[in-house]
Amino acid sequence: MSEQNTKSLKKRGKVTIDEKRCKGCWYCIEYCPTKVLQVSEHLNEKGYHPPKLVEEPPNKVCIACHLCELYCPDFAIVVEEIK
Amino acid sequence: MNPMEEMRREEEKLLRTDRLPHVWCPGCGIGITLNAFLRAFIRSKMDPNKLVVVSGIGCTGRAAGYVNVDSFHTTHGRGIPFAVGIKFARPDLNVVVFSGDGDLFAIGGNHFVNAARRNHDLLIIAVNNFTYGMTGGQHGPTTPTGAYTTTTPYGNPDRPFNIPHLAISLGAPYVARWTTYHVNQLQNSIYHALHKKGFRVIEVISQCPTVYGRRNDMKTPLEMMHYFQKNSVRKDDASFEELELKYNGKIVVGVFRDIQGIPTYEERYEDIIRRARK
Ligand SMILES: Cc1ncc(C[n+]2csc(CCOP(=O)(O)OP(=O)(O)O)c2C)c(N)n1
Ligand code: SF4
Ligand SMILES: [Mg+2]
Repeated sequence: MSEQNTKSLKKRGKVTIDEKRCKGCWYCIEYCPTKVLQVSEHLNEKGYHPPKLVEEPPNKVCIACHLCELYCPDFAIVVEEIK
Repeated sequence: MNPMEEMRREEEKLLRTDRLPHVWCPGCGIGITLNAFLRAFIRSKMDPNKLVVVSGIGCTGRAAGYVNVDSFHTTHGRGIPFAVGIKFARPDLNVVVFSGDGDLFAIGGNHFVNAARRNHDLLIIAVNNFTYGMTGGQHGPTTPTGAYTTTTPYGNPDRPFNIPHLAISLGAPYVARWTTYHVNQLQNSIYHALHKKGFRVIEVISQCPTVYGRRNDMKTPLEMMHYFQKNSVRKDDASFEELELKYNGKIVVGVFRDIQGIPTYEERYEDIIRRARK
């Protein structure tokens, strides 16, 4: 693996979901390479199930790749890199 | 701040967040395309005060109402002529037409071919969801032969436009096609096109699960996305036949034309003014 790839795997991110904007398409859940998101049981005010974080770190961690942000059609996800 | 976080922050400023959540259905690809466009624009570091987004009518046309820059939601099919006028009056502005397949190729088809032929300096982002989403899923000029829509309950007998080929045949200097699955490639392509001149066309194959997908065995947004994911092939030197979109067939994506040096209409016009004044 190239140095850059190893570096990006070491990155860690924090995912924030704006539930009000979410419409439950679940692209973020599907395309997260480390599968840190899952469907939540609760509904948002529009009646959709937003994603939520899986509760099993350290096995499943956000690597701050930002893919969920790029796939989100609703501008509802922000990923921040944690130092 | 990390560049991706910075971009997300800038993106919020380019959106009319007071109007969110937007009207688009769950999983509609128009939001993904707008997201890619805004990010490409932020990366370009161009001045948002000099960006104009013009749309026609349709679900895609609503994009003009969500951007926090000068924008105009024109009448149906008239995005391109309106944009041509803006560019004539203010050649310093960066004019982008963001509209749907029905708007650009049915009622606005003649504007498209003539603006392309004259090489007006415009970036066209054509969201092709194979149907008229807003009015309930009628077939349109990009609906694949055989597809089921409200107006083609036995399958569409028409042959669809081959948009990249049409644009190339008219001399457009930049022609690309991506799907909403190709989030990074689409963003890069828009970024490159923003730096070029002339009539630039980017076709974005997009999902309308609500009125197109559900009649064509792809009821959920994810089923449509899987279709794009499994069936896309990149081939920049694709032939006419390969570029044709067949019902449930392969989707050839890529940058099919990227040339420089063709004078734009605005440049030729300026030259005429200069000569006439001598
Ligand atoms: C002059 C005129 N004719 C017809 C209509 C009805 N109409 C509204 S949107 C639309 C089609 C939009 O299709 P498309 O551009 O593909 O946009 P989408 O909704 O699929 O994004 C039509 C025919 C109209 N608004 N104005
Ligand atoms: S009807 Fe189709 S194109 Fe229109 S917002 Fe819904 S999914 Fe998108
Ligand atoms: Mg359409």
